[in-house]
Amino acid sequence: MQVFNAFMKVMKKKIFIAFIYIFVFVFVAIAMTFTDNNVSQFEQVSLKVCVFDEDDSPESHALCSFIGNDNELVTLENDRDVIMDALYYERADYVLTINNGYAEKLASGDTDGVFVSMKMHDSYSTVYMGQMLNEYVSTVSAFLAGGNDVMDAVSRAEEVLSKEAEVNIASFVSRSDPDVNTNTVFFFRFLPYIILGAVMSTLCPVLLVLGRKDIRYRTNCSGIHQSTYTIQIFAASAVYIIGIWLVFMIVGLIINGGTYSGIAWLAVLNSFVFSLFAAMLTIFVVEFEPPATMVNIITQVVSLGMCFLCGVFVEQPLLGDGVLAVARFLPTYWYIRVNRMIEGSETFDMNTVVLALSIEFGCAAVMALLAALVRKSKYTGKSAVPV
Amino acid sequence: MAAVKKESGCKLMKNTVVKITDLVKRYGDLVALDHLDIGISEGEVFGLLGPNGSGKTTTINCLLSLLAFDKGEIEIFGKKMNPTAYDIKKDIGIIMQNVAVFDELTVYENIDYFCGLYITDKVQRKQYVNEAVQFVGLEDFLKFRPKKLSGGLLRRLNIACGIAHKPKLIILDEPTVAVDPQSRNRILEGIEELNRGGTTVIYTSHYMEEVEQICTRIAIMDKGHKIAEGTKDELKRMIRNTETVTIEIIGLTEEVKAKIAGLPHVYQTNFDGTKLTVCCSGGKHNLIRILGVLQENELSFGRVYSELPTLNDVFLEITGKALRDKGE
Repeated sequence: MQVFNAFMKVMKKKIFIAFIYIFVFVFVAIAMTFTDNNVSQFEQVSLKVCVFDEDDSPESHALCSFIGNDNELVTLENDRDVIMDALYYERADYVLTINNGYAEKLASGDTDGVFVSMKMHDSYSTVYMGQMLNEYVSTVSAFLAGGNDVMDAVSRAEEVLSKEAEVNIASFVSRSDPDVNTNTVFFFRFLPYIILGAVMSTLCPVLLVLGRKDIRYRTNCSGIHQSTYTIQIFAASAVYIIGIWLVFMIVGLIINGGTYSGIAWLAVLNSFVFSLFAAMLTIFVVEFEPPATMVNIITQVVSLGMCFLCGVFVEQPLLGDGVLAVARFLPTYWYIRVNRMIEGSETFDMNTVVLALSIEFGCAAVMALLAALVRKSKYTGKSAVPV
Repeated sequence: MAAVKKESGCKLMKNTVVKITDLVKRYGDLVALDHLDIGISEGEVFGLLGPNGSGKTTTINCLLSLLAFDKGEIEIFGKKMNPTAYDIKKDIGIIMQNVAVFDELTVYENIDYFCGLYITDKVQRKQYVNEAVQFVGLEDFLKFRPKKLSGGLLRRLNIACGIAHKPKLIILDEPTVAVDPQSRNRILEGIEELNRGGTTVIYTSHYMEEVEQICTRIAIMDKGHKIAEGTKDELKRMIRNTETVTIEIIGLTEEVKAKIAGLPHVYQTNFDGTKLTVCCSGGKHNLIRILGVLQENELSFGRVYSELPTLNDVFLEITGKALRDKGE
């Protein structure tokens, strides 16, 4: 186990890069878990509004009533210092004074100076309140100009203003399956990027160190069998890959409420097959013997490129047909397809799941084969053994 | 010396450790090794001497089956060498020009790793590693990483990694390139010590002084050919030159130069304006006779040297060029 042990000792010097990926991702994932990410509903903001009705007319009463429909009406002493204190200490958000002559001005179609407002700062809510009041008096004035009596105009204005625009938030997570929660779905969706990053940025430098020409020269001169050497390297790589994958699965387990059940196991299997692909891709890259300084660049280009193309960062339905046509040749695309079925964004189809997992596994096998071919082409006719 | 018989151009001796027969290696049109025959017997320090590009490292790579060759046969310890001859490989130690160690491991871990590629028994390995550490004098640096070691200490670590498993045959491929004189002497002393313990050594170098100092037998190579082989005395006897006399002198006339050239055993004279070089072949008292001619002609002279032939002279006489390139 000499080569295996050396692999692990070298890995100890390089593993911190993987830890950076793991810690950042786990931190973000856990932060998301404790964040309310239910974005499919709106809650209307209610302000604390104080109204001083100096007109005291049916029209002004109607305005008070309209304001009170969606806001909390508070009572304050009509004193500037008291009002300022109330605004400062947020006992009131908006203070409206309906000026004397409001009803007359409204009837004559003059909406200027019908009321005065006071607020502490221009928040979205208070600006919206000002706009709504202006819209209210304009609408009432319009109905009055149209021949309606005052109460009818007020009633119609309220009816018009009560109509709300229909807003839909596009949600790609519609599954209500108790086996996976929204945070788990989020976790598994972004896992390909982290797995690629953590595996390539760590395994690549270790394999490059062990495969350094002078080290391999010495190893090839030694009494260790080539097959024993390869098996030990393979075993050490497998231990590392499985270790990294297990760490992620434990984090996923915590996020999913402490247990995997039902369809959640499919997410686990999907991530494992993808980890195999990441390992084989790394071995393929190592065969080209990139300089150590290039490893990080290659890792970022490969992981980010694949993830952007295949729908990790942008949902697949939002990607263009051309992009998806290219992405279909990459395992990350199929990983996301399975993940989308798990999260319920796509109709679950067992055949597609099997196909996707097979393609991911096939891509891993292709990478291993290509790595072997590159290795063979490098040494055939030159060296008796890989040097 | 063991009995010698001639067969296929290769000297075969009793207890032959390495036998290279008719080895040919081509790189495209370039013939790197041209029908090379070498035989090395047990306990020898065999030197492969030649300029850069003469085929020394190619010979070593073929010997270790790291390089496929076009023709020929290699036997080590009486068995045919091939890439999977692990039973042969386990008795070979290799120390190369470049320091091939892990920067990520400590001195001890490095020696232990490379020793572990040969010795699987942990107890025995620990003992071997400790002995190797003592041999190269790295006891105080066991927990150091290679990057913290000086150039000389790194070389010692490189040697320890190659010898820790106590091989029967050690191959040193130019181990003293870019090494300071003190470390070089230590390395050479170490090789001699290993040899005294019974280890057969193959030593490649283009430094003739080193080869002369430690090698019991030498093969001189040039352009893939073995141009001469034997002990250093045998090699020197192969050439005409037995003594080179150099005299610092001004105003040497052609007449006097001709008198010197006419002396017995003198076969070549050269005068560059300040220095007279006289090559002699055999004979005694050559220097006295030359100085006598100068005195007869009342010529004063400065420093006088008389040198015995070196391997460079051997190489020069056989190939017509100096063994070591300028600046090396």
